[in-house]
Amino acid sequence: MAGNTILEAKNIYKSFSGVPVLQDVHFEVKAGEVHALMGENGAGKSTLIKIITGVYAKDDGQIYWEGKPVEINTYQDCQKLGVACIYQELSVIPPLTVAQNVFLGREPRKGPFIDYAKMNKMTQELIDKYQFPLKPTTVVDNLGIGQRQLIEILKGLSQNSKLLIMDEPTASLSGQEAEMLFKIIQTLRSEGVSIIYISHRLEEVYMLSDRLTILRDGKNAAVLEKEDIIPAKVIETMIGKVVDESAGSKKMLHSNDEAEVRLDVKGLTDKTDRYRNISFQVRKGEILGLGGLIGAGRTEVVRAIYGVDKAASGEVYLDGKKLDPSPKNSIHEGIGFVPEDRRNQGFIPLLSTTKNVALTNYDIVKIQGTSISDADELAMSKRAIEAIDIRPADPNKEVGVMSGGNQQKVVLGKWLMRDLKLLIVDEPTAGIDVGAKDEIYSILENLAKDGVAVIVVTSDLQELLRVSHRILVMRKGDIVKEFKNVEVTQSMVLSAGQGVEEEAK
Amino acid sequence: MKNFNWSKYSKPIILVAFVIILSVLKPAEFLSVSNFISILTSVAAIGIMVSGTIFVFLIGGIDLSIATLLSMSAVVAATIITKMGGSVIAVVIGLLAALAVGALAGLLHGYITTTFAIPAFLVTFATQSIFLGLAQVLSNNNKIACTWPAFAILGQAIVPIIFMVVFALVSWYVLRKTVFGRYVYAVGGNPTASEISGINVKLVSIMCYVISGFTTAMGGIILAAQSQQADSALGAGFTNDVITAAVIGGISLLGGEGTLPGAIFGAVLMGLLNNGLSLMNVDSTQSGLVKGLVIVVAVAFDAMHHADQSRKKAKKVKKGAAAPELS
Repeated sequence: MAGNTILEAKNIYKSFSGVPVLQDVHFEVKAGEVHALMGENGAGKSTLIKIITGVYAKDDGQIYWEGKPVEINTYQDCQKLGVACIYQELSVIPPLTVAQNVFLGREPRKGPFIDYAKMNKMTQELIDKYQFPLKPTTVVDNLGIGQRQLIEILKGLSQNSKLLIMDEPTASLSGQEAEMLFKIIQTLRSEGVSIIYISHRLEEVYMLSDRLTILRDGKNAAVLEKEDIIPAKVIETMIGKVVDESAGSKKMLHSNDEAEVRLDVKGLTDKTDRYRNISFQVRKGEILGLGGLIGAGRTEVVRAIYGVDKAASGEVYLDGKKLDPSPKNSIHEGIGFVPEDRRNQGFIPLLSTTKNVALTNYDIVKIQGTSISDADELAMSKRAIEAIDIRPADPNKEVGVMSGGNQQKVVLGKWLMRDLKLLIVDEPTAGIDVGAKDEIYSILENLAKDGVAVIVVTSDLQELLRVSHRILVMRKGDIVKEFKNVEVTQSMVLSAGQGVEEEAK
Repeated sequence: MKNFNWSKYSKPIILVAFVIILSVLKPAEFLSVSNFISILTSVAAIGIMVSGTIFVFLIGGIDLSIATLLSMSAVVAATIITKMGGSVIAVVIGLLAALAVGALAGLLHGYITTTFAIPAFLVTFATQSIFLGLAQVLSNNNKIACTWPAFAILGQAIVPIIFMVVFALVSWYVLRKTVFGRYVYAVGGNPTASEISGINVKLVSIMCYVISGFTTAMGGIILAAQSQQADSALGAGFTNDVITAAVIGGISLLGGEGTLPGAIFGAVLMGLLNNGLSLMNVDSTQSGLVKGLVIVVAVAFDAMHHADQSRKKAKKVKKGAAAPELS
């Protein structure tokens, strides 16, 4: 199916302040192929993409488009060639509608005015064609991140691009939404559109890609044809160590009903009906997985337990004591919370690792009079860096410039400095490379061993099975299924989340 | 010299360059203790005010009412002291009243911005004319002479400089050493994450506006004492001066970034500039032009520093992620 080479980047070199980031990198995409680009965070994928899209200038090398050498100096240059990039960091504008976002800067006009009717109609046609669950006139502000991601994709599709670059497109999509995206990708491929697919989710890459380029340490590590894409080999090439990723499709769950009940949630109900009458318990040392589709109300429930948002009714008990949920009270009672949207909710980008780690912990940092002990604050930060291997191991590093995995470790690390009774993590490994994922899983497992109750909200089924001792599945604001002391498979969880009752095998 | 980080040291370099140029051009007039004291006294009020308004800038707010709030505070003090006959006790009561008025104005700003989610830009844009109106009503649109000895001493010799140093030190201490200071940077850097981290974002923001109002009132008192009069036009132009000092000093008006020493540097640089221009007999019509250019250069240096940091970001991320396979 794949035809001639559409894009070729040859001998690309790039360094920042004298440190080489890309060295003699070759990258080639054929017409109508899905070409995956893999590598750990920091391997040079993003830099290569930014060079192709004109965000960065290359130091050396040449880019060819349909066989002809081209100079791409701005993002507009690459758009003109027919390349659209769907960025990992969402660039949708919240106060505008879906249609306004899709046609931003390219609005159809009627005389000097924007032809909104036409714009909405064109958007509706695209939505129908690819069956997105969106309406052209919805204001983006009211949509979740999964749906915003779909708008990004729609924007790329609306430009009739020959090459779509998708950077972690499924990072914030639910299983169902991701399935839909995969179908769209297949459709586009059959229409001759090429796709550069960047993802940390290995199974997606195996399933979708025709070819795979692996970067490691800024150099080409391998280019694999479809038949040569073997999971173990890919992972090994990518990170240079063996990771246990295979045991992910089913799991035997074990619960310890002897352990004391740590968290008891009774009849939690939302003001705006995003969840209703939610009751469940979590025991000491238990990791409870909360599965379901995006928008099922999982995030809203855990936010209400921690107290970021208030529930309309219902009660939360920790070790038998009734709580008045608010972040401050929750922290005081020994609850930690790692929010789903790391960049916007998790940390303070301009502040150092030290100050981010200390942020929730000034009740335990030594303070003389009113003066914070810098030494004690620094010592805490070093303990966190040590405990969960934050890199760079520089306590003064601004967290905003670190890689996603390390940012997440900072967010998590601050809770490890306290005596926790309950830790709630929401999409703990979204957009994080496999190595860091494994580390985060073992942190959660170790916490559970120490008696901490852990709630993991995740849309990644493999992750859900991997970490959970027990699984609750939510759908449209209700808990619809509990998996306890049974062998559970990904498809069982998925079916429950989608409301399809599957016969027990 | 290739690796010398110009942008990082831009502030001391600019300062030293100014001093050298002026020393060479006007050695007799410039290089004297009395001239340096006069430079510092000329910026003392700005220094005092920026020590407080920095809190508002750090949380990503702005205060456009600085000029009229300082006038109003000074008019309040002057009116009370006049009514009470100018005794020492009258002066003390007048000053306390002025500071209370400043703090209350700040409380109002903080309460409105946080409770009704109205941008500080709009709130303080509105209050600036309210404060101006109140100052005009209170002073009957007259100049009030402020020559009482117990009051005038606040503006004499190095007293304003002492106030500036004290305010700057307290502000530096609060921002650098206290939990509240940490929270201010956190709220400015990411209010949502701060909220989730258990910080009372609303309270921290309101506190910042109160501090800002308080120091603005203090700036008004010092200016009134220096000029020995108070009226509704006392503060004219000072909103710009305070914001300019902060911006030259590398304080991001987007919040979360900047230090008190930076802000004080900005104020002092403005004093040096004014002093140099007047020593060089630059016409006031041209001095505005020169000042503008210097501000552009200072801000450009700062922007370069930032660009440099974001380039390093890419580099450091690579290094950080490449490290695991070495272990």
